[in-house]
Amino acid sequence: MQPFDPVNFRGQFEFFQHNPDWVYLDNAATMHKPNAVVNAMSAFYQRSNSNVHRGAHTLSQKATRAFEQARDDIAAFINASERQQIVFCSGATAALNQIAFGLMHTVLKAGDHVLITALEHHANIVPWQLHCARYGVTLDVVPLDANHKVDQQAFSQLLQHKPKVVSFSHISNVLGHIQPVAQMISQAKAAGALAVIDGAQGIVHDSIDVQALDADFYVWSGHKLYGPTGIGVLYGKTAALELLTPIFGGGEMISEVQFSHSLFNILPFRLEAGTPDIAGAIGLAAAINWLQDINRKEMKNYKAMLLNQFFEGLNKIGGLDILSSPVHNAGIVALNVQGEHPADVAELLNQQAVAVRGGQHCAMPFFNQLGLAGAVRFSFAPYNNEADVATSLQALTQAVEILTA
Amino acid sequence: MTLDQLLTDTKPALSQIYNQDLPELSEAKDWQSKYRILMHLGRKLPPIPEKMKQPSLLVKGCESRAWLMHYYNQHQDQHFFVLDSEARIVKGLMAIMLCLVNGMSNSELKKFDLAHAFDKLNLKPYLSQSRGSGLNAMMVRIKECCH
Ligand SMILES: Cc1ncc(COP(=O)(O)O)c(C=O)c1O
Repeated sequence: MQPFDPVNFRGQFEFFQHNPDWVYLDNAATMHKPNAVVNAMSAFYQRSNSNVHRGAHTLSQKATRAFEQARDDIAAFINASERQQIVFCSGATAALNQIAFGLMHTVLKAGDHVLITALEHHANIVPWQLHCARYGVTLDVVPLDANHKVDQQAFSQLLQHKPKVVSFSHISNVLGHIQPVAQMISQAKAAGALAVIDGAQGIVHDSIDVQALDADFYVWSGHKLYGPTGIGVLYGKTAALELLTPIFGGGEMISEVQFSHSLFNILPFRLEAGTPDIAGAIGLAAAINWLQDINRKEMKNYKAMLLNQFFEGLNKIGGLDILSSPVHNAGIVALNVQGEHPADVAELLNQQAVAVRGGQHCAMPFFNQLGLAGAVRFSFAPYNNEADVATSLQALTQAVEILTA
Repeated sequence: MTLDQLLTDTKPALSQIYNQDLPELSEAKDWQSKYRILMHLGRKLPPIPEKMKQPSLLVKGCESRAWLMHYYNQHQDQHFFVLDSEARIVKGLMAIMLCLVNGMSNSELKKFDLAHAFDKLNLKPYLSQSRGSGLNAMMVRIKECCH
């Protein structure tokens, strides 16, 4: 493992060479891709492209080996106990839809409860709404406390409804707050629920050990972890995956098809209908293999240092409402300029080549509760540097000046 | 406050924007001045009172909300509008758009090409993509008022 060297690290992202004027602080939306990922994908297309699992020919066997090797690498990366527990899908959204759809009828029946929190991304709200409504399942929502954290007392109380499924995010994409996820999972399981974790942000921040976490499902998107768009991971314990009715039917997912009925293939193929994103899986495996060669602890500390610098700088700018807390924060700061709309602030930052997101970040219910139109979100990655912090603080100061002139 | 009153108050604001602010905007040298002018001219439009902001008037942009009210004078074949937005930059851009379309006849409005008009005023460069689409949503709604 190599020590984390910020300059060398940033140098591996060609994006910054092509966009030298930009400060990119929209990492919670998607991350840039290191050359290792781009090269692995080009190499696959240029040298080894073939469909997987079908051809009798050698080229297809080679592609299949690479694709299945990616599954093994990802299983090792999150410490899954078996390779079949890694189901490839297009991302966290697809995984949550598969889970919500797949548990209806097999686990969730009319009159049952599902529990989510008020901090969820739309991807962890809408699939439940869609399928719960159809099956007469009630969706309960844990409210937030005064610090915009999930109200743990209310969480315990709502567990008394005996929800069959509890689904929540590891890290909030709006505020960056890290949930006490291990404790919440063990409480959920003690109440007899299946625990589903939306790890779209969680996977980026720290090493994940799914066995230690003991979640039934842990889902994430490759593109937020230096990987390509279009590929994601639905991890589930084998017994939990067996409970899922496939949301898609088609090729690859069956063992026998007759017009009257079909027999499903074994895991993970049962949940992977159609030609998978082969290059995407290879790109994602390249991302995590590349990542594993770097000291992630040092990397995390470096990001925390940038975040602290940013928070310190914010304290010197007057007239801000800072929604995120620096404690247990994964590198995200949501804030508003008092009395101003986040869209205006984001646009003035955009004019200064600082890329942030302004709005509701796919978490409308969260902002409605706070009575806010949204927030401006700065999200950091280890390829950001101290110059990015300084420039973005300067740009924010300038925006405040223009808005309040 | 009534729609009539809002329409009456909007008219002089628009002519002031057209005659005074637009020339200023085109002469502004740096982006800071441009945005200051944009936000300033948005403020000149009389706001639609909260109580009148019925859900049916809502025009959803990407990240901010706006509202549109419409009146058509049948005798003179003229369309008149009142609008408001919670974001100031986009309200400034909408105000400029309103300068161009307020009082248009039905056939003029149908033919109106926003991108072309903004291009002629050298305003296109100020519109980032997301800003543009909030504005476009408003334009679409305005066009829907045609018959
Ligand atoms: C917490 C969280 N959940 C789910 C998602 C959805 O991810 P994707 O759009 O990649 O499916 C995101 C992405 O913004 C997220 O931040």
